[in-house]
Amino acid sequence: MQQVIVVNISDMKVSRKPGDVLTTYSLGSCVGVAAWDPKALVGGLIHCLLPLSTSSPLRAQENPYMFVNTGVGTMLKTLFRMGATRESIILKAAGGADMRGNDLFHTGARNTEVLRELLNRHGFTLAAAEFGGSIPRGLTLFTDTGRVSVKTFGKEHDL
Amino acid sequence: MSRREEILARVKTVEALPSAIRQAIDLLADADADMGELARIIEYDPGLTANVLRLVNSSYFGGLRTITSLREAVVRLGAGQVFQLLIACGVVPCMRAEIKGYGLPRGMLLEHSVVTAVAARTVARELGLTAPDHTFTAALLSNIGKIVLGTFLEVDAAPILDIVTRRGLSFEEAEEAVLGVSHDEVGAALLEHWRLPESIVYVVRWRLKTEQAPRRNLALDLVHMGSALAMMTGLGVGLDGLNYRPSPEAARRLGLDTAGLETALASVIASLDEVRALFS
Repeated sequence: MQQVIVVNISDMKVSRKPGDVLTTYSLGSCVGVAAWDPKALVGGLIHCLLPLSTSSPLRAQENPYMFVNTGVGTMLKTLFRMGATRESIILKAAGGADMRGNDLFHTGARNTEVLRELLNRHGFTLAAAEFGGSIPRGLTLFTDTGRVSVKTFGKEHDL
Repeated sequence: MSRREEILARVKTVEALPSAIRQAIDLLADADADMGELARIIEYDPGLTANVLRLVNSSYFGGLRTITSLREAVVRLGAGQVFQLLIACGVVPCMRAEIKGYGLPRGMLLEHSVVTAVAARTVARELGLTAPDHTFTAALLSNIGKIVLGTFLEVDAAPILDIVTRRGLSFEEAEEAVLGVSHDEVGAALLEHWRLPESIVYVVRWRLKTEQAPRRNLALDLVHMGSALAMMTGLGVGLDGLNYRPSPEAARRLGLDTAGLETALASVIASLDEVRALFS
């Protein structure tokens, strides 16, 4: 039976149960990363609020998933322990919106930049991504097929 | 009648607040009033009394979990603070509905409003500022104009979003271009119609246009930034998306930089569950 597992802000969930659906609803400036391994049939979804744990080191100790630089690696290590490998894992990401004409804070852009830089440094690439703009997004991973979808304003499309 | 006049006239037909709140507003407007009377008025409404007591006893609002009556709450916290929480409790029920015009399912306007209110207070705390008493309530009510435009009038967002995209306007500027009035002004008109205190109406009126406000105001700057943080979380964000402009001047006045903003965002998310539960 299909089970929908909700990933909140600063949260991460993994699953090895075929049919599980991992979803997160409110990516504003945050970034979401969906990871799926077609051989091990395991998947994970993370919703990171901020780019770097240096902004709140104590909170990063309590919850590494709040930050891109501590959360994404923790999720990948969890999936590797579940049988995923760096050769076969597929990563897709979305989010990183910013307010319109925002000359002030660029948290969305910084989240995106830190994610790309982190993955690049460790030899991973994003198979697909949808970043930026001024729109909120939902991100969903279907663990049986690895399908990833993005939902904005009630309209859903595959990533 | 222009579309703007039509909308502002519609505001005056919105149902009044519960009677206990209306009486409390009258009482607080009277300089000679006995503040002990505030507790007596609210106690006639048991549901409202229970909700106000829940807030005053919560650790979030600095309560000690020992206040058992509104009389005691007024003595220990002051009539002003109790009044602010009373307004919050009284208005929250009408913020739970689905707001079709803004693409907000049931509960999402309240969700976004709670995040805004928590964020406004958090920004103050992180910067070592004392938020004025009405900051939380004003932030909680800051999106209330969407109820009028998005529910009673079922405004079509498509042409508004079209202008946002084509002309690079912020959402409230596009609302003004299409409707002749934006949801922040409509919200302030509704709160005036309900005769809420001017301090709250002022913040709601100028939240998206801090630099056009007639006077500088700490609560206004805090709610403006709280609103920006709430949009960045994506929680309860509707069709208007993040199509608003944060004011660099307001950030400068508060002393809020990127590092401060990110620390505040982390704190907001950490304290959200507690405050959500208070308004559930």
